[in-house]
Amino acid sequence: MSDVTQRDGTSSAESGGDCGGDGGGDKDGDSFKLRFCTVCASNQNRSMEAHLRLSSRFPTLSFGTGSLVRLPGPSISEPNVYRFNSTTYAAIASELAARDPRLYRANGLLNMLSRNAGIKRSPERWQDWAVGAPRVGPAYAADRGHAGTEAGVVDVVVTCEERCWDAVVDDLLSRGAPLNRPVHVFNVDIKDNHEEALVGGKAILDLAVKLNEAAVEEREKAGVQGWDMGSGEARRGFDERVPDILTEWQERWPALPALWTLAWF
Amino acid sequence: MAAAAASNAAANAAAASATPSTAAGPNNAIPNATAETIKQLTHARNLTLEDAAYYNQIVPSVLPIVGAPAAALELKRWGADFLAETFASPTLSADAKTGLALKVLDTLKAFLGADGNTDEVDTGIAKSAVQTAASVYPLVFRHILALQYRDGITELRIVDNPSDASSWQKMAAIKSNILRRMDSFSPGVRICCIKFVQRVVQTQTPGLIADPRRTENNDISLALVPRDHPLIPPPNLEAEASGLLDRLLSNLHDHGADALIVTATLNSIGSLIRTRPSVATKIVNAVLNFNPLKLAGEQPISSRNRVIVKSMERTTKALLLNIIKKNQNHPLAGRIHAYLERLHQARAELLDESAAASRTKRPAPAEPVDGLDPAKRQRLGAGDAPSTAAAAAAGGAGAPPSPISFAQLYTLTNDQGSRNFDVQQIPVELVVRILVPMLGRVDHAQLDSAVNSVRARYLAISQQAAAAQQAQAQGPGAPAGIDDEDDEDYEPDFQPAEDTEQIMNKLDAAPPEAPAPTGPADPGPEPVPSGPTPSSVTVPVPAAGPFAIPPPPPLDEEETAKAGSSTVDRVLGLMTSLEPAPQAGKGAGAAGAGAFGKGFSRLAASSYDRDAWVTVVARLATRVIPGEGGEDGVGGAVKNEEGAGGLGGDLFSARGSGGFSLPNMIREALCRFVVEDFRRRIDVAIAWLCEEWYVEKVAGMAETEKGKEGAGRKGGGGGTPTYEKWVLRVLDGIMPYLDARDKVLIRFLSEVPAVEKSAVEKVKRLARDPERVGLAVNTLLYLIMLRPPVRELCIDALEDLWRNYEDARAPAAKHLAKWRPQVLQQQQAQQAQEGGAGAGGEANGMVTMGGGEAVKRKAMVWAIAF
Repeated sequence: MSDVTQRDGTSSAESGGDCGGDGGGDKDGDSFKLRFCTVCASNQNRSMEAHLRLSSRFPTLSFGTGSLVRLPGPSISEPNVYRFNSTTYAAIASELAARDPRLYRANGLLNMLSRNAGIKRSPERWQDWAVGAPRVGPAYAADRGHAGTEAGVVDVVVTCEERCWDAVVDDLLSRGAPLNRPVHVFNVDIKDNHEEALVGGKAILDLAVKLNEAAVEEREKAGVQGWDMGSGEARRGFDERVPDILTEWQERWPALPALWTLAWF
Repeated sequence: MAAAAASNAAANAAAASATPSTAAGPNNAIPNATAETIKQLTHARNLTLEDAAYYNQIVPSVLPIVGAPAAALELKRWGADFLAETFASPTLSADAKTGLALKVLDTLKAFLGADGNTDEVDTGIAKSAVQTAASVYPLVFRHILALQYRDGITELRIVDNPSDASSWQKMAAIKSNILRRMDSFSPGVRICCIKFVQRVVQTQTPGLIADPRRTENNDISLALVPRDHPLIPPPNLEAEASGLLDRLLSNLHDHGADALIVTATLNSIGSLIRTRPSVATKIVNAVLNFNPLKLAGEQPISSRNRVIVKSMERTTKALLLNIIKKNQNHPLAGRIHAYLERLHQARAELLDESAAASRTKRPAPAEPVDGLDPAKRQRLGAGDAPSTAAAAAAGGAGAPPSPISFAQLYTLTNDQGSRNFDVQQIPVELVVRILVPMLGRVDHAQLDSAVNSVRARYLAISQQAAAAQQAQAQGPGAPAGIDDEDDEDYEPDFQPAEDTEQIMNKLDAAPPEAPAPTGPADPGPEPVPSGPTPSSVTVPVPAAGPFAIPPPPPLDEEETAKAGSSTVDRVLGLMTSLEPAPQAGKGAGAAGAGAFGKGFSRLAASSYDRDAWVTVVARLATRVIPGEGGEDGVGGAVKNEEGAGGLGGDLFSARGSGGFSLPNMIREALCRFVVEDFRRRIDVAIAWLCEEWYVEKVAGMAETEKGKEGAGRKGGGGGTPTYEKWVLRVLDGIMPYLDARDKVLIRFLSEVPAVEKSAVEKVKRLARDPERVGLAVNTLLYLIMLRPPVRELCIDALEDLWRNYEDARAPAAKHLAKWRPQVLQQQQAQQAQEGGAGAGGEANGMVTMGGGEAVKRKAMVWAIAF
């Protein structure tokens, strides 16, 4: 379902995709990769679209910050509500399909859920995530983007809504940073509909590719010889370049207001 | 079996590393052998991830491989990352980590170049090594201080076991190395150093001790260290921590433009604020003195600054909100709120988000997409129509053919270029800067004529449109407003279309010539609005005409009452919503304290919080509008009502005497409001009853002055019948729900302005319930002790309790012995006289009955008097 929509954002989206292309399609194999985590309210639409995109290249996790998984129901006042972590995407899909297949096919929910079921087992809640707890074993092995996330930590978190960014930053503050591990937390404001999620997913991948390039450069330049190689921008470290990378990204994606902070796990 | 596998993996890795360590050459081309080693190591790591128990075997066997001075860069990096991961892992117990920590110190020193071998440190290795150091530091610290508790003779032990002392020395060397080089590291490493410093400060600042005997359960802090510890003397460490904290906080000011350092600092100090109360105030003050918007001062803001300023601002806000959320009674909460408020305003001014958003986010199309469809035409709100230019004489009179928009209405120029210019693209400040001097210089005649021509146009249009409009009004309704915002979420935006009447009302309200004077009549390059604006709402134009809404039919009494009561309910609903959250514990008490904290000079109802509404509502109820209540003002209204309803008069009593009474309705609603949740709303009741009492007193005084003595005093009790009535109502409402240990009743009776006999009677009645005898007696005792005006009354009541309520006998006697001993003596004397026990009992019974009779009679008298 990825290439269906054509909106005004598409042209820039394509260019974003292209930047992604030369970012290292050929050296994806063994080289260093940042680990990413995408976050939205229900871990259904925006974060999962971005998860799908990122997981093709990077180790990726995804979460939702809401108290419950909320999906549109027959009317505004009757949303479908599910528990995080324990309800699988497949279970939600089959329940909705049994309830009103026509409605949920028409509004794209079933399609979305089946995509999600192909990515991982169930929606996960950010606040319940034990950062640093290993994610190994059969429960995780089938998740897309699992390779690299075994240690249960990530380098970059991308939220899809300011509310979620606030929730993530607040949660990290409350946890008291026991791991002493820095994490870049970005927000990319994406409206919660299928079309915007597609555009947003591309934009997030673009950001991820640029960040990873900088991180790889940092690793390559370092060491004794590193000082002779690379020049200018590439000599600066990864973390210090993040604001500039974000600025450039924001100029490419003006419709998706961004936010960033360096937080701690 | 698995254990064997683990050591195997590590051993393999060791074997593999034996070869390449000599040949560790160029870093970028990773030699095969190194790659092989890393593969083995990774295999070993996977084992630890599956079961944390393997760390104990694998970490020690990995150390020589990755820690060797000649090891390849890739190996060292891997090792540093692995160590950071190990000590961060939540699956590994703190004790296991401590054991490992003592073993990795040498390697860590080597990674950081602290062993003096090299000064050049790879960024990746340094980052991980500093992270590891931050995790390890508290563990080593605890290990050292725990020695004291393991055996009483620490000093001997340390001398005996030099390895412990040397562990601490190594840790100290690592610490000083990190601190010394912190500022010369690249920013990526420096942020890790910031975290390290935060950890050190947290460790070396006294925290809260849960249980001094069980150090392993406590948060590791200086508070656990005995004052005379030989290795880690607390005073020195505390001083060091204080210095480091200053250094940490200075980041906010010295690197105020470096978002990376600033946000890393802000996010790391959160846990210090929470867990180290002794330094929390200092830290919060530093944050409050930090201005994340400093960079935005340089106009125009570069796009880079816009992003990072916003990021810093939001991070600061997140930190402060987190503090307040954790501790709502934080001593600095007031300052924090003020700071956030200021920040909010400053940001709105500097970054002008909405304008920026509308410029960058979804620029409105330069031309109306569908110019011919009136339903899609965008309207400029009358208020924000930045109006006009002139060419007054020429283009003025000829209005464009209808339907037209307000923009068109005010557009007087014929220049197409100016017409298409969207003024909203200019920032508001700039417009203001242009307009104000311009208005000063504008030719007055020209301006007048421009205004007149617009006025003429408007009239023409309105007349022309009036007929059509009326016809349209009969129709099915105006075209629905087109939802111009992109719709949020899946749910369609719920924006009901305005109906015709609403639109016409709106237009009626728009002053026909209001905006004109704001525009300069200078025909020069002044832009003319014409284009669509993002905030537009469609409107069927022209809707203006000499249209007057017929006055609504007069409400009959019942409707008035209904509307009145719904208004009152809404205000009370508002108060409910403004109430402090229930988890605030002693809600009412805290709220009261807050109000008193504002000082004597505060004005009632000056802030829009709950207390303000309480004041407003209470005064609405009590300060009756003259004429509202009847012929005689306050007193009259009260008497009417009393006549009809008596003591237990209800809401409808006033109706009986010929009219709906707003004050009583409000009182009724207030009373209900209080009773609904009286534990938290007792302050509302007290505030309200104070108003009642005050108003009646004032009225009483006025009447006395008039010389009609006694007119207002028929009811006795000092002329406050309404007050008394409502005190009783509130008491009636809460009494059934009071439990034996409630302090609410005492508070209520001690704080209301006057306590009457009837109220005391009610308290007495409480004593009928054996469970609540204590409450009744205590309440009376409190009043006796601290409310001298009613002391006699209450002692009487106590005596009555003693005489007539079997359960209250013992407690009442205790207090009577102090306040009215003669009664008890009398009783004893009587008993002595009676002689026989049986006869005494009988007499007792008679006395009791007599007393009960008396009470009843008294109550009746009171009821009649009221």
